[in-house]
Amino acid sequence: MNNILLLEDLPEIRTWLKSLVLQVFPNARITECSRVQDALLQVQSVRFDLALCDLGLPDGSGTDVVAKLRDVQPDAQSVVVTIHDDDEHLFPALQAGAYGYILKEQSRELITEQLQRISQGEPPLSPSIARKVIKYFASQNLPQANAMPEVSLTDRESEVLLRVAKGFTLPEIGVQLGLSRHTIADYVKQIYRKLNVSSRAEAALEAQRLGLFRR
Amino acid sequence: MPMPPPPRTPLLVRLARWLLGPLCWCMVGLVTPAGATPAPTVQVLTQALAAAEVGGRPPAWAGAAPVTLPDDWADRRPDHGGVMWYRLALSWPGDGGPAPALYGLYVERACSVLQVRLNGHLVHDGGRFDEPVSRNCHRPQLVALPAALMQAGDNRLDLRIRGYARAEVSSRQRAGGLSVIEVGAYDTLAAHHARRSVFAVRLPEVLSGALVLMGSFMFVMGWFHREQSYLAYFGALMLGWSLLLARLWASDLPVPNHVTELALAALMSFITLAAVQFLMRYAGRRLRWLDFALPAQCALMPATLLVAGEPRLYAVASIWFVVLTVQVVAAVVFYLVEARRQRSRQLWPMAALLGVVGVSLALEIAAQGWALDSRVLHVAQLLPALGFLALGLRLVQQYGRAFQTAEQHRAELEVRIREATAQIERNFAQLSELKVEQVTERERKRIAADLHDDLGAKLLTIVHTSDNERISQLAREALEEMRLSVRGLTGKPVKLLDALGDWRAEVVSRLQQSGVQGEWSAPSDEEVPQTLSSRAYVQTTRILREAVSNIIKHSGASQCSVRCTIANGDFQLVVQDNGKGIPVELDGRLDKGHGMASMKGRAKQLQGQCLVESGPGYGTVIRLTLPLERHTTAH
Repeated sequence: MNNILLLEDLPEIRTWLKSLVLQVFPNARITECSRVQDALLQVQSVRFDLALCDLGLPDGSGTDVVAKLRDVQPDAQSVVVTIHDDDEHLFPALQAGAYGYILKEQSRELITEQLQRISQGEPPLSPSIARKVIKYFASQNLPQANAMPEVSLTDRESEVLLRVAKGFTLPEIGVQLGLSRHTIADYVKQIYRKLNVSSRAEAALEAQRLGLFRR
Repeated sequence: MPMPPPPRTPLLVRLARWLLGPLCWCMVGLVTPAGATPAPTVQVLTQALAAAEVGGRPPAWAGAAPVTLPDDWADRRPDHGGVMWYRLALSWPGDGGPAPALYGLYVERACSVLQVRLNGHLVHDGGRFDEPVSRNCHRPQLVALPAALMQAGDNRLDLRIRGYARAEVSSRQRAGGLSVIEVGAYDTLAAHHARRSVFAVRLPEVLSGALVLMGSFMFVMGWFHREQSYLAYFGALMLGWSLLLARLWASDLPVPNHVTELALAALMSFITLAAVQFLMRYAGRRLRWLDFALPAQCALMPATLLVAGEPRLYAVASIWFVVLTVQVVAAVVFYLVEARRQRSRQLWPMAALLGVVGVSLALEIAAQGWALDSRVLHVAQLLPALGFLALGLRLVQQYGRAFQTAEQHRAELEVRIREATAQIERNFAQLSELKVEQVTERERKRIAADLHDDLGAKLLTIVHTSDNERISQLAREALEEMRLSVRGLTGKPVKLLDALGDWRAEVVSRLQQSGVQGEWSAPSDEEVPQTLSSRAYVQTTRILREAVSNIIKHSGASQCSVRCTIANGDFQLVVQDNGKGIPVELDGRLDKGHGMASMKGRAKQLQGQCLVESGPGYGTVIRLTLPLERHTTAH
């Protein structure tokens, strides 16, 4: 993790986050932004490994930056850093391509641990987010869903989601399914990825439909 | 000479007898049938000498011409108007019967006024001979002949008559003339006279009155209900007809003959107006031009009669009568065709009535040209009036029924309006409720956003910038509280199953991080179909969080179990640890510092309760019980 984008409008919090990130990744070069427009410009020119994005910003939503990064730098990992813990705020960011989220008011220790996990490919997944993902894929009615394994969940992934929704922790699920911690983490990563892909496919289809109508 | 019975009783007369018989009974108390054979002691005089009066003195009879009665001036002397004298020879006793105490002389028709002299003595004066001349053309007259004036053998009867030439009257029936003279016992002739009078005078009077009453009534009714204007025209028709009938019984009018005749002729144009308008409107057609043409005609007709002058009254009136008759016939045909087309239920009753009126009018018209039996004429004069009364009753009945129906409709409409109003009010109430909900929702979202953006940001800054661990911890808790409050403010109801998942994830991961061995038990998915209001969800989350925090921070426990159960509509949460318990204060109560009070307060807010059992050495049990029903549907 060399190049890190830090999008946060409150200076104190930005400073605090920066120190925290430097603690986890001592050699990182951090680009600080306090506005969505600045961040979007940076994303165009600088190559990032990790982006920490706040959601509620004075000139827009961090979700836009997450989506843009997803488009132009698919390998970069976006993490939402927010004060909102409800899925209504988080889910759009996850659909846009974020790999997990960190709640800002948590203790320094907890956040550093979560950051490490995320960077190691173990994104967090709360029961309410899991339920939302399940609902999303259940209502997903893409015609090419069967033809595209990319956008539909495997049985295992669904199984993991269901258990998370019921309140089981990822290590518990690993034990229940007889899988290693890394495998479970991979499933979660896949779920995030498919959520993003499926959302994009849906958006494209919607645009096509609108285009057809417009014509 | 006995009066010969009529050769054949006309059908119409029989019908009229049948119709009018009961009426006569009621009005006059007369039962004798009109056709009863008169007593044989009656002489009918048909031979007379006639001479015109000159200079107001009786004529010199030397040059008088013999005439046969009835002497109809319209036939024999159409241009003569003035006073005529008739001299009749009466030989008595005629056939040698017993001499009656009082003799009577019956004159069926003496037009327009009659004086009678017996052997030079004036025995009867029928009215004024100067203008305005009395009008007795339609009135049978009975004269008493005192026996004292009668001489055995030949008697001299002088009849003085003032009449008008045909040209001066509008109807032949009122041209001068003298019918046959009947002389006999007074009783016999009086009975005969009374019967005739009923038809000739009394019934027209009665019908005039009835028509005036009913006509006025219907006119007023139609006047105030313009959509039923035909009622007003029918009322006008009845009023006109009652005036027309007055010619039969009104004998002494204060105006001269030519004015009366002109008024009578003009009355026909008014009756035509009323009849045509009634028929058109009753058929449901209103022609605008008729509204102007008919009144114009009403004005034009008297004007032409005036211009034509007295001598040509009959001729001009006759032309007008033809014109008016054509109009009425046209209206009748129009009405019948229209009623047939509309399949009106009034068609046949109306057709019958119009038929009767038509026949009667035809008879009247025929009477202008030929001398008809007076009884036929009487019936012809009375039948239309009766028909109008019958139709009037029918119209009033229809009107009443329509009124009733309208009233019913109005009542139904009122009910429907009331229903619709109630519906609208309900909808409005729902709508405003919805509106209130929307506004409330929007306001809550705004408050929530403000809290997050302002308060949240500041608390967060404190959390991460404070050097004091306790302050930053307090700020963190405040932030958490704020977030839960916002959630309680804006959140939707949560499925209990989902809530259990959230709670489990939080409790188990927190215990794990703290190195406490956790155990979670909850009912299976099928057992929890309920939902929680967001408030209940938030409060329960806080209570559970507080309990777990206590265990982690203060109890020193190594094990903790959380059991969720649903029994008797209550949701129960039992958190048990094996820690050192909550220290008892001096007064024997549990330490308030461990958040027990706020946990209990929150449970109470949800109509539930929170019990804490604790003792040194055997850990703590927290039992939270919430009634589910109240929170399953509440928003």
